[in-house]
Amino acid sequence: MSPFHFDSLIWHWPIAIYLFLAGISAGAICFAVLLKHFKLGKHAYKSSFVQAACLIAPLAVFAGLGILVVDLTKPFDFWKILVFYNPTSVMSVGVAVLMVYQVALFSWLACLFKEPILKWCDNRWPIVEKALNILMKFEATITGLLVILALSLGAYTGFLLSALTTFPMLNNPVLPMLFLISGISSGAAGTLLGGVLMKGNPDGKEVHFIHNIEIPLILLELALLFTFFLGLILSGGQSQVAALNAIGEGFWGWVFWAGIIVVGLAMPLAFNLFMTTSAKRKFSYVAITASCSLFGVLLLRNFILYTGQMTVA
Amino acid sequence: MKKERRLFLKGACVAAVGVAGASGLSIANSSTSKDDGTPNCKYALIHDENKCIGCDACSVACRETNNVPEGVSRLDIEREGPFGEYPNQFYRFTRKSCQQCEGKPCVNVCPTGAAYHDPKTGIVSVDEWKCVGCLYCIAACPYQIRFINPVTKAADKCDFCKETRLKEGRQPACVEACPTKALTFGDLKDPHSQVVEVLKTTPNYRSKTELGTRPKVFRIASQEGEIKL
Ligand code: SF4
Ligand code: SF4
Ligand code: SF4
Repeated sequence: MSPFHFDSLIWHWPIAIYLFLAGISAGAICFAVLLKHFKLGKHAYKSSFVQAACLIAPLAVFAGLGILVVDLTKPFDFWKILVFYNPTSVMSVGVAVLMVYQVALFSWLACLFKEPILKWCDNRWPIVEKALNILMKFEATITGLLVILALSLGAYTGFLLSALTTFPMLNNPVLPMLFLISGISSGAAGTLLGGVLMKGNPDGKEVHFIHNIEIPLILLELALLFTFFLGLILSGGQSQVAALNAIGEGFWGWVFWAGIIVVGLAMPLAFNLFMTTSAKRKFSYVAITASCSLFGVLLLRNFILYTGQMTVA
Repeated sequence: MKKERRLFLKGACVAAVGVAGASGLSIANSSTSKDDGTPNCKYALIHDENKCIGCDACSVACRETNNVPEGVSRLDIEREGPFGEYPNQFYRFTRKSCQQCEGKPCVNVCPTGAAYHDPKTGIVSVDEWKCVGCLYCIAACPYQIRFINPVTKAADKCDFCKETRLKEGRQPACVEACPTKALTFGDLKDPHSQVVEVLKTTPNYRSKTELGTRPKVFRIASQEGEIKL
């Protein structure tokens, strides 16, 4: 059995990328909201980190949807997913969430960048100002809605797989939680990496704020991974077979232990702890830590998708 | 003694023909009684693994009747064995095709409703036009029998010949083609149908019921073959 080709394999890596992008979008926008409300206030849009998050969130969603469409066997019929809905289908509900999420996302972005937008328009189109003023009235509602939608989107990436009774490793209640938390941590990493690349101060208050959240996130992710696999092993039968196949010897076992656990979780955790004690953060520390996290989350999506489909109930 | 047996055989044949005729009729009826809205039928299939000789007549007939392209199939007969010592060797044959689940995992996950459960016949079908080819149903089917039709690019699978033989008021192609009569097809809701008769009198099993799929393909276990734990 080769790691990328086996009989029961149905969904290939594009789906893993799609799940990754949806997760990072949800995570990044959560951090933009948090940064604005707890640290930066009205001038949040001037921060490189907020700007990075606000770029990542929509771009990742578009790219993810693009991949999803191209991956269909009938890509030109993709609009049928938007027209026909099936309430029992996780995918259908997820697509609906994605659509509403984008509306909320752009409304929130418009509120956030109100000043630069108005300046850019320079009173040329009074309708823009009017529209923005109406939006601003609902800013609190939009923000709340956006956070809820982002969290749903993050969990949906897990529910999409956990709805499959065919595969005992995927059909697992911990999966949505695991995907949500790892998605949020990828959003944090994306925001940090994008922020320092856009000349943000690596020792700024944004970085301190995000790092403080990142440590508990990584610990939670480790706990969830532990619960996930221990739960599978204790249930016995095919679940146990699936779990041991995944994290045992072989290609995917290496991916899990070396890639996900060491590079994706343990190293960022160590760096984070080191940075909290050391006085000053440097560009390279922040960038490397964030890259490790992103790499780990991307591996996790692929790992779960592939190993999950290896063992059939 | 001999005469008695011959008489019995004759009687059995008459009964069998009668039942077959009646179930054929009920198929014809149900396909024409769409207007009254409540046809109330639920088709099921029985595969007798004792009678099956693994000749593949069924899968060949299925391919021809339903225009199934090369490289994919709606029906496969899987072989296990040989068991035992020569010359008393035997194989075990199992049918791999859509189980027409009442729990219908494939229908539940389909985002567009292209995979649907036909309430009139109880048959799980695919609406070729609505299907976008997301493969979700293929991943959701625990029996792994769905596939993408390379011609239509839509999901495809056994539909009990709903669009071909049943429309003509006949039995499914695989059932008609089987030389040993290992397949029995009929309506579970008709208490006098042959399927109900067989299910009530013969011990049978279904595959993966623990997943809540409630399949409508029943199997009569091969008497030979090993018992696995
Ligand atoms: S066997 Fe598979 S395709 Fe057929 S009804 Fe069940 S889940 Fe659907
Ligand atoms: S492949 Fe087609 S039938 Fe299957 S779930 Fe997707 S849209 Fe529905
Ligand atoms: S019932 Fe029809 S479609 Fe299904 S396996 Fe038999 S011949 Fe093929």
